Amino acid sequence: MKLGHKLSNATFFLLPAIILIAAFYILPLIVTTWISFTPLRDWKISQLTEFVELENYRALYKFVTTHPLGSLVLKTTIVFVVFTLIVNVLGGLLLAIATYVIEERVSLGFRLLWLIPRMTPLAVFGLIWYYFFYGSPQGTLNAFLLKLGLIDQPTFWGTDPNLLPWSAWSIIIFVNGLVGVSYGMIIFYSAFKSLPPELLIAAKVDGASTWQIVRHILIPMARWHLVFVTVWQLLSLVTSYTHLFVLVDWRIVDEWYGTTWALFVFTEAFGTVKNQGLAAAAAVILVIIGSLLGLLTLRIMRFDKITLEPKGDI
Amino acid sequence: MVSVQLVKVTKRFGSVVAVNNVDLEIPDGRFTALLGPSGSGKTTLLYLIAGIYRPTRGKILFDGKDVTNLKPNERNIGLVFQNYALYPHMKVYDNISFPLRLAKKPKSFIDKKVREIAAMLQIDHLLDRYPAQLSGGQQQRVALARALVKEPSVLLLDEPLSNLDAMLRLKIRSELKRLQKDLGITAIYVTHDQSEALAMADKVVVINNGVIQQEGDPHEVYRNPRNVFVASFIGSPPANIFPVKVDLVEEPCVILPGGKYCPKGILAERLKNLGKETVLFGFRPEDATLHEVPRHDGIIMEGEVYTIEPLGREVIVTLKVDGNLVKVIAPPTTTGRISQRVYINVPRDKAMLFDPDTEKNLRLIG
Ligand SMILES: Nc1ncnc2c1ncn2[C@@H]1O[C@H](COP(=O)(O)OP(=O)(O)OP(=O)(O)O)[C@@H](O)[C@H]1O
Ligand SMILES: [Mg+2]
Repeated sequence: MKLGHKLSNATFFLLPAIILIAAFYILPLIVTTWISFTPLRDWKISQLTEFVELENYRALYKFVTTHPLGSLVLKTTIVFVVFTLIVNVLGGLLLAIATYVIEERVSLGFRLLWLIPRMTPLAVFGLIWYYFFYGSPQGTLNAFLLKLGLIDQPTFWGTDPNLLPWSAWSIIIFVNGLVGVSYGMIIFYSAFKSLPPELLIAAKVDGASTWQIVRHILIPMARWHLVFVTVWQLLSLVTSYTHLFVLVDWRIVDEWYGTTWALFVFTEAFGTVKNQGLAAAAAVILVIIGSLLGLLTLRIMRFDKITLEPKGDI
Repeated sequence: MVSVQLVKVTKRFGSVVAVNNVDLEIPDGRFTALLGPSGSGKTTLLYLIAGIYRPTRGKILFDGKDVTNLKPNERNIGLVFQNYALYPHMKVYDNISFPLRLAKKPKSFIDKKVREIAAMLQIDHLLDRYPAQLSGGQQQRVALARALVKEPSVLLLDEPLSNLDAMLRLKIRSELKRLQKDLGITAIYVTHDQSEALAMADKVVVINNGVIQQEGDPHEVYRNPRNVFVASFIGSPPANIFPVKVDLVEEPCVILPGGKYCPKGILAERLKNLGKETVLFGFRPEDATLHEVPRHDGIIMEGEVYTIEPLGREVIVTLKVDGNLVKVIAPPTTTGRISQRVYINVPRDKAMLFDPDTEKNLRLIG
């Protein structure tokens, strides 16, 4: 077979994927980058051909460095990403281990339970948290804490200025953690399940306790899954905003203490401000930072070594 | 070293009875083979001895001491799996040292032990490799080293050779037997390969459907099978067994195509007392001889050559005897044509008769 023939074959089979990627990823990226160099506001399409050079980037830089809300968005983003990532990865790992060591019948129900937050429609989800954190004595959390006598006044947990910033941050971390933790759980659980049972029996015979089996067998064997889940979750936390949007929009948490960079991009473009040029610049920065973070984690977690482990002299 | 005793042990998985009311004695310091077809409950029995499974009923004793409720690591056993179950993320050294590290032994002691056992099994040059970098035979030795490094009082092996090629299997088979004798360790060896069991073991235990069929030294189990299952499972090719008519008119005899066999003594009496119209007649392929004209000193039957398979050292002749296919091992010089009529001669003391209903060997019940 000639090489040219082979190439055209490959192109043929890859074409649908290439078209999809081009249409839904590359093209929007180019358009966004384009918009970031225009003064586009309120979707006035005519402005799309006026160029303002780096004006949007300059404005963004000024906002972040001098405006208190700008640095707050940065801080919220970092706190949100770091802590939710820890919750999602370690929580997922713990849940996977727990469901792996308990009896299968119980385990199935337990895993399904943890999938509920992920399967719940966003509006229902928002409603639940609205009532849960609501500031009247009837708000679920308030009612509960009042019953226990831990507080004597109901509070708006996410917006009370006396409790900020960690109250709002805790809520966004908690809510997103609840949604995200099942992802790691499923990946890790299936990784454990695919291990040959003899491996665990061998470890038991060798005298390993459950904890030692987890430490010496399960976790090292799920190493690549750990890397994958960490990178995947990191990137989705940096870029996702839907649950945060509901929390902020319904005033469950304070508007600014619940706004991460991704949500900032969204509200800048589609909220009351409608400054699409600035939003596009912020989005471009987000893509760049996201890519760098992804590469960095892969590096730190030695992805290259895992995939290219030398087989030695055989 | 210890002896192992199972007392009325039953293991159920839901509605499946994997091991059924087993009484068994595993002698101290000897090599015992647990032989049975796939699904007969061999692994389950081994895991019961190892403490991985709890018996549904019954007791397990090590040297008379009840260990039924002890965990695997409290029984001081070594276990080797069919798929080796080496830890893929640990180097050979760490695989072997794992049990000692868990037991919190001092580093220098661990190092000495690992190197000792590695040298004994000739894998000392492999300590720095990962399991994926080893051949099947090498992995097998590492698995053995990991099982032996803690100096277990019982070594349990679950079909450890079945993933190796035929040549290597023969080689490791004799090595393993020698190793067991040198160490004097109590070994229980699970296999579905009857030749492996006969070749290696001091004692063979035949199991089927979770029930022990027969136990004894290899010669005993081979020569005097207790029932049809044991006779047709052991031997290569296994014993020929087919139904024949009984004639009790003058003396108790069985009617064979072209002849008849009238047993003497106790066997004749049992055949008579059985009072059935048919019984199962059997003999081992190597006990029979083939002749062109009938001889008159043994049991004679007539057959027709079906196929001839020369194997170098011998020839396996398959014959049709009254609609049944019968195998006879003949000398390498044997020649013949397909459909040729020949006479099969079986020495009288090598013939076996089985009750057609209980399938028990008439020679051995009483
Ligand atoms: N964990 C289990 N759960 C349910 N049934 C089981 C389990 N382990 C074994 N069994 C059943 O018990 C019976 C005996 O199985 P076992 O693994 O002991 O057979 P074996 O003799 O080792 O077979 P093989 O030679 O194929 O390894 C089989 O019918 C099997 O399906
Ligand atoms: Mg088995």
